[in-house]
Amino acid sequence: MVLGTYKEAFSARSTDKAIQKVSQDGGIVTALLSYALEEKIIEGAVVAGPTDEMFKPEPLVALTSDEIISAAGTKYTFSPNVWALKVAVRQYGLEKVGTVAIPCQLMGIRKMQSYPFSTRFLADKIKLVVGIFCMENFPYASLETFIKEKLHSSLDLTLKMDIGKGKFWAYTDEENLSLPLKETHGYEQAGCNICKDYTAELADVSTGSVGSPDGWSTVLPRTGSGNSLFAKAVEAGLIETKPIADVKPGLGLLEKLSDGKKSKAADEIKKRVEIGLPVPF
Amino acid sequence: MSEKIVISPTSRQEGHAELVMEVDDEGIVTKGRYFSITPVRGLEKMVTGKAPETAPVLCQRICGVCPVPHTLASTEAVDDSLDVDLPKAAKLLRELTLSASNLNSHAIHHFLIAADIVPENLFATAVNSVGEIRKNAQYVVDMVAGEGIHPSDVRIGGMARNISELARRKLYSRLKALVPKVNAHVDLILDLVEQKGFPKGLGVVNQPLFASANIYGDRDFFDLDRFTEVLPESWYDDPEVGKRACTTIPLLDGVNVEAGPRARAAKFRGFTEKGVIAQHVSRAYEMKTYLSRAIEILDELDTSANTLADVDLRGTNKLGVGAIEAPRGLDVHMAQVVDGKVGFYSALVPTTWNIPTMGPATEGFHHEWGAHVIRAYDPCLSCATHVMVVDDEDKSVVKDEMVKI
Repeated sequence: MVLGTYKEAFSARSTDKAIQKVSQDGGIVTALLSYALEEKIIEGAVVAGPTDEMFKPEPLVALTSDEIISAAGTKYTFSPNVWALKVAVRQYGLEKVGTVAIPCQLMGIRKMQSYPFSTRFLADKIKLVVGIFCMENFPYASLETFIKEKLHSSLDLTLKMDIGKGKFWAYTDEENLSLPLKETHGYEQAGCNICKDYTAELADVSTGSVGSPDGWSTVLPRTGSGNSLFAKAVEAGLIETKPIADVKPGLGLLEKLSDGKKSKAADEIKKRVEIGLPVPF
Repeated sequence: MSEKIVISPTSRQEGHAELVMEVDDEGIVTKGRYFSITPVRGLEKMVTGKAPETAPVLCQRICGVCPVPHTLASTEAVDDSLDVDLPKAAKLLRELTLSASNLNSHAIHHFLIAADIVPENLFATAVNSVGEIRKNAQYVVDMVAGEGIHPSDVRIGGMARNISELARRKLYSRLKALVPKVNAHVDLILDLVEQKGFPKGLGVVNQPLFASANIYGDRDFFDLDRFTEVLPESWYDDPEVGKRACTTIPLLDGVNVEAGPRARAAKFRGFTEKGVIAQHVSRAYEMKTYLSRAIEILDELDTSANTLADVDLRGTNKLGVGAIEAPRGLDVHMAQVVDGKVGFYSALVPTTWNIPTMGPATEGFHHEWGAHVIRAYDPCLSCATHVMVVDDEDKSVVKDEMVKI
């Protein structure tokens, strides 16, 4: 199962113009969390909120749709959302929490739910985890290097970053700068090279751009609760869908990339084991 | 002909202690001696030489019954040594944490004495009531201080963060809903204590009241000049007891004192009764005091206010005092921060103060009431132990060699 278990695959996007304007692709994460908040399925969500520094996120315990929307758009560096789950349950007093997580964070969340050491009364309060496809994640200094040193631009001028079509993109008001992905290699977190999960296989609903046309996202509802939430959001008209079979490039590309990450990671794990390095799995 | 009755260990309390009673022919106690046989913790030694932030983290682990008061006393001692001015919101959040924690702790005591006072047909009612109160009280500590048992968010300089407005409203409504339950619980306990038929005058002592404040604690009350500490060998007139006792005997103005709910009630709430019944009654009433204070704090708390002051951890060499009214009495921690490290640390904890008073309180009544007198103080011994058993063979404490704390 190269994409993990999932109920059905869709190509989808948020129908809300306000979300479309700020979202990375189809705005699925923002739409789902906002919908869950409005329907009181969650009382708040831990998201990668904005800070004073461009593209440097910080966990934000969002209690309103506006706050969730403020966190829209992909930041290619980490936001330690898992850390803030406890704050959300404790000082924020949330009894039903949603969050967005990349695969490694999801592994942490699911493991924490199985073995709740130092997270008493937290595991049962996580009601929704939206997972995002992730090939790798960069330290902030790596992003600075790409934008400043390799693309000779500045983070302040950058409106949006993206990865697609084999390139790392930085959009400014005036131009679309790009960098071949192979130039970014070596700048990712070392842990990404042994991660076998591309499609956030442990999420309630996974989503990401790969497989769908521009402005749309591929969505894989995985759990019963994730599936029913997605179905309700579609029924409520907040998300529109197309069968994944009808869109280009479709699931084939997603499977190819997921498979590639798994086999590359397996090779790297083998290499690390051979030279006596510890690997977590 | 006098006989010796020994209860070892005394039961349904935290830690290990022994009650030795000399009785006359009728079984009436003529001399009572109560002492701790719990091994030393030595936390004070562990924190010496460490960074000041370490002190509360380690000292809260003295015991799982009073982790919150120990956290607060330890933090306040370091705050005082560093001359920190706490933000108002932090003070309120700390007091809220303590009020909820003490409410929970008093409920636990009712569980411990349930076997003494609750008839079988009411047992489930009483225990469920304890559980309900504890669940709600601990929920408050969880939310405000990060963790119910070993709170992570009480910090040098205040509290790690304020609670959200949503959390404030939730806690407020939960505690409001708890009011009738606590009232019913208190009525139940008062009834049961009355029905138990404790003899009039049981456990009455006339020692000075050692209470610093109605609820939170006041460091100005603790005057180091009036305080002395003697070793058990010179306090207990039975050499065998003196040899085995594991606590020092703290004295105020040269005499032993009474600390705890009754002492607080007598000093701050006009309560005049004494003895075992009075202790149970004042402890039960105090639950209402804590709950209403917690609700009051939630009402006035500004959830957008700053909760953490700027702190210079290098220290001023001042001997800081943290004085917190724990469930069982005043918990005093002292800390001196020198060059960014803890140079001196000492904890004078509630039950230590009560230990020399508890034994004599059993006198004048049949020895069968002895254990009831002890339990009325709700003793908790693991944090109280500060003398080390050196000889494992005969469990003796090396003479005059208490752990220098």
